[in-house]
Amino acid sequence: MGLGPRTLEKLRRAVGRDHVVWDAYDLVIFERDASITGALPDAIVYPANAEEVAAVLEIAAEQQLPVVPRGAGTGLSGGAVTLHGGLALSLARFRRIIEIDPKGRTALVEPGVVNYDLGLEAARHGLFYAPDPSSQKACTIGGNAAENSGGPHCLYYGVTTNHILGMEVVLSDGSVHWVGGEDPDQPGLDLLGVLVGSEGTLAVITKLRVKLLPTPEAVSTLMAAFPSIESASKAVSDVIGHGIVPAALEMMDKVTIGAVEAHYKAGYPTSAGAVLLVEVDGLTESARELTAAIEQILEMDEAFEIRVAEDPAERELLWAGRKGAIGALGHIKPNYYLHDGVVPRTRLPEVLREVGRIGEHYRLPVANVFHAGDGNLHPNILFDLREKGIMKKVEKAGEEMLRACIDAGGTLSGEHGIGLEKNAFMPWIFGPDDLAAMQAVKDVLDPSGRLNPGKIFPPAGQIEPKLIARSGVASEARWW
Amino acid sequence: MVTVDGLKPKAVEKPKTAEALAARLSQATRAGEAVIPVGGGRALGMGDPPARFDLALVTTALDRIVDVSPADLTATVQAGVTLEALQAELGKARQFLPLDPFGSPGHTIGGLLATAWSGPLRQRYGTPREFLVGLQVALPDGRLARSGGRVVKNVSGYDLNKLHFGALGSLGVITEASFKVFPRPLFEETVEASEAQFADAWREARRALELKMPPVALELLREPDRHRLVARFAGSEDGVRRMVRELVWAPVAEADFWQDHSRRRADRWVRVAVPPEALRDVLHSLPEAARWWAHPGVGVAYWVDFEAGQVAAVRAAAEAAGGSAVLVAAPPAMKRELGAWGRQPATIELMRRVKKAFDPAGTLSPGRYVV
Ligand SMILES: Cc1cc2nc3c(=O)[nH]c(=O)nc-3n(C[C@H](O)[C@H](O)[C@H](O)COP(=O)(O)OP(=O)(O)OC[C@H]3O[C@@H](n4cnc5c(N)ncnc54)[C@H](O)[C@@H]3O)c2cc1C
Ligand SMILES: Cc1cc2nc3c(=O)[nH]c(=O)nc-3n(C[C@H](O)[C@H](O)[C@H](O)COP(=O)(O)OP(=O)(O)OC[C@H]3O[C@@H](n4cnc5c(N)ncnc54)[C@H](O)[C@@H]3O)c2cc1C
Repeated sequence: MGLGPRTLEKLRRAVGRDHVVWDAYDLVIFERDASITGALPDAIVYPANAEEVAAVLEIAAEQQLPVVPRGAGTGLSGGAVTLHGGLALSLARFRRIIEIDPKGRTALVEPGVVNYDLGLEAARHGLFYAPDPSSQKACTIGGNAAENSGGPHCLYYGVTTNHILGMEVVLSDGSVHWVGGEDPDQPGLDLLGVLVGSEGTLAVITKLRVKLLPTPEAVSTLMAAFPSIESASKAVSDVIGHGIVPAALEMMDKVTIGAVEAHYKAGYPTSAGAVLLVEVDGLTESARELTAAIEQILEMDEAFEIRVAEDPAERELLWAGRKGAIGALGHIKPNYYLHDGVVPRTRLPEVLREVGRIGEHYRLPVANVFHAGDGNLHPNILFDLREKGIMKKVEKAGEEMLRACIDAGGTLSGEHGIGLEKNAFMPWIFGPDDLAAMQAVKDVLDPSGRLNPGKIFPPAGQIEPKLIARSGVASEARWW
Repeated sequence: MVTVDGLKPKAVEKPKTAEALAARLSQATRAGEAVIPVGGGRALGMGDPPARFDLALVTTALDRIVDVSPADLTATVQAGVTLEALQAELGKARQFLPLDPFGSPGHTIGGLLATAWSGPLRQRYGTPREFLVGLQVALPDGRLARSGGRVVKNVSGYDLNKLHFGALGSLGVITEASFKVFPRPLFEETVEASEAQFADAWREARRALELKMPPVALELLREPDRHRLVARFAGSEDGVRRMVRELVWAPVAEADFWQDHSRRRADRWVRVAVPPEALRDVLHSLPEAARWWAHPGVGVAYWVDFEAGQVAAVRAAAEAAGGSAVLVAAPPAMKRELGAWGRQPATIELMRRVKKAFDPAGTLSPGRYVV
């Protein structure tokens, strides 16, 4: 479509001449996030503060342009994709850590701050920021808040929403508000709680006050190898069943182990059917006591090799394998489609069996690397896009895997969000009345519907769940 | 008999199913009636006196424990189930909901969620805001809307659980709730200390909170002749013992301090809530002979048996510190004079728009909540 010169000029005046990009060649960079679909924006704007964001939103209102906030673009559900064109609103210039308050144990940060960088800064005060998505070296705190992201350590510490105290947000009418705050039990409705996880469809986040926690005295990490996914799953249930909630409890299957070992040499036995990474932290005594208890449980559950990391370097290596697993899978096939269903953790073995069956049926390799303690599956379908007609199979397989999660009493997404990837499936878990209540909130906060259109809610008029027709989406996977 | 601030409804009904409750609610909306949801009926004094009150919708017949799954650490209950009934069920698997509200026993789950009423354990676990994973709510137009689900981790759709939590039933009547539950700690110990001077007590509280493993609950209680500190530690036995050694407080006097504490009640009750760092100064602004207790690590204090004339100064101090002082219970005349909630939130206009979207006819608890 392209924007008229007058609109571009207005945008340039609002954010500065260098901070509006519309050259066709540059727009391609923002065509996609880490999901499997893409679409081109008409322009990219880089505001630097809430006032500039407000000005951009006012111009967008005038011109009836969709606006899609964007952090690092690591999202896996198409949240940052400009499905209907319009403006990609990048928060890349919001990168200040404004304040760390070591006494109150909070930080005030801009949304473009990278998760890992906040961690480094907090560490200088003996503190840490708990939500740790595996993408933490790239993803932003704003993106984390918009997706309500999780990570391995969220089993014990909770997900992003449990760690955000307040936010400055700009609504689509250009009004700037502060929601939440450091005082507990605020009278009034919890707007903060609704805005976290709203995937850029309700507001643009321009500042966040987050909780920091004191670094634990001791950390103990152990790796356990099992003959099968079944025996590892049983071990997960048994650990929790013994009243132990470790800081993290992660599982990797045989396919993943092979890829990781080839790349990282993390020390996972390649003969294993599944590997668990278990981490406990806290006081030295507690970590010791819990590690011993967990070792005992895992042994009873057929673990054939258990290794407790002897030092920080060994722990880092065990984690490097887990956090780098998705990249390592590139050794098997160049492309992946990573899913994110949740099931009650007792249903893990049967759902994983079903996931395996679906992969075999479509002759697609599937690697499982996931947050087992939470029952949060990540079946990762591996493929090569150059194979003709493969996308149809990949999508069909993914849909069936999600269906298996729902049939087991689970949900569509544990942490990656709905975006445009799963909005068509929302009717699987929410009826018209449930969705209408969500729509009511959307209509209040973004009456124009201009903020990140086409996400979360099923496409208009859709009754039966189906994948959106992707033909309308620009240049599918041209850039892989 | 159900009365709210002296007002009697024309009718009291106790629907047996969520569907029946929703149908009755929508009928009331169409008839222009004012409805107040009632759980155990123990905290009906919260909020401003209602403008109108035609129908009390009592939830106590919704008393089914729908699902408890120990291996999944989840539980789903209807809104009229009492906290004690749920705890008894969870206790069978050595699990619990980490919620120990004052005014126990007898709270219903719906009432607890609507009031966001909590207790000392929030120091470690937070309020149910942090572990509520799903809701079913009857809306004024008769629809039953679900949000969240039954699994512990879920980002599907907007998190409307949080919108209803603490909304005092102003947007809908909670009919069912799902929680993430927790294993009971392996070992617990409670210790206490006393200080004559407030400043010394506050310093001791800070010391406890800065331990490598802070207490799961820490109370500072103003008693006639002393400031009393009570700390509850939970975790592995060796760890707890070391913390207790490092703190050097004495074993607590009562056989079951926490149960006695959670049974506290009063006719006049203010909840002060400020950023934790500011609580010290706000507590200092309370009248010399005031009766209060506080969660120093959370930033919340409860002040009971005050006089109307004393509230304005404390409220001003709390609001200046960026917080609130809410009259959670008081005679209706006093609430009319002072207002239950204090200063309006800065985002009140947005909140009103949300309220209007959910309850355009103003059916639910008119006049009682902030919106
Ligand atoms: C290899 C890999 C591993 C991953 N591991 C995890 C994991 O362990 N756990 C997990 O939860 N996720 C994981 N993710 C997904 C992704 O990293 C997270 O969703 C992350 O939070 C996205 O952050 P971002 O800055 O990249 O946001 P983007 O992808 O740019 O945007 C994500 C969404 O947030 C919105 N948004 C971004 N910034 C703002 C803002 N300031 N205001 C309003 N809305 C905004 C966008 O509109 C979009 O809807 C992984 C991704 C990859 C590629
Ligand atoms: C200010 C205050 C003072 C208190 N003082 C005492 C006291 O002196 N003695 C004592 O024993 N306890 C006291 N409590 C504790 C009180 O019992 C708790 O707040 C408890 O949560 C109320 O539970 P309930 O089931 O009795 O709710 P109710 O008292 O029946 O209702 C509490 C509030 O929640 C709303 N509500 C109830 N159920 C629902 C639902 N399902 N959906 C939506 N809204 C609902 C009601 O309209 C009402 O506004 C006090 C609490 C507060 C907040």
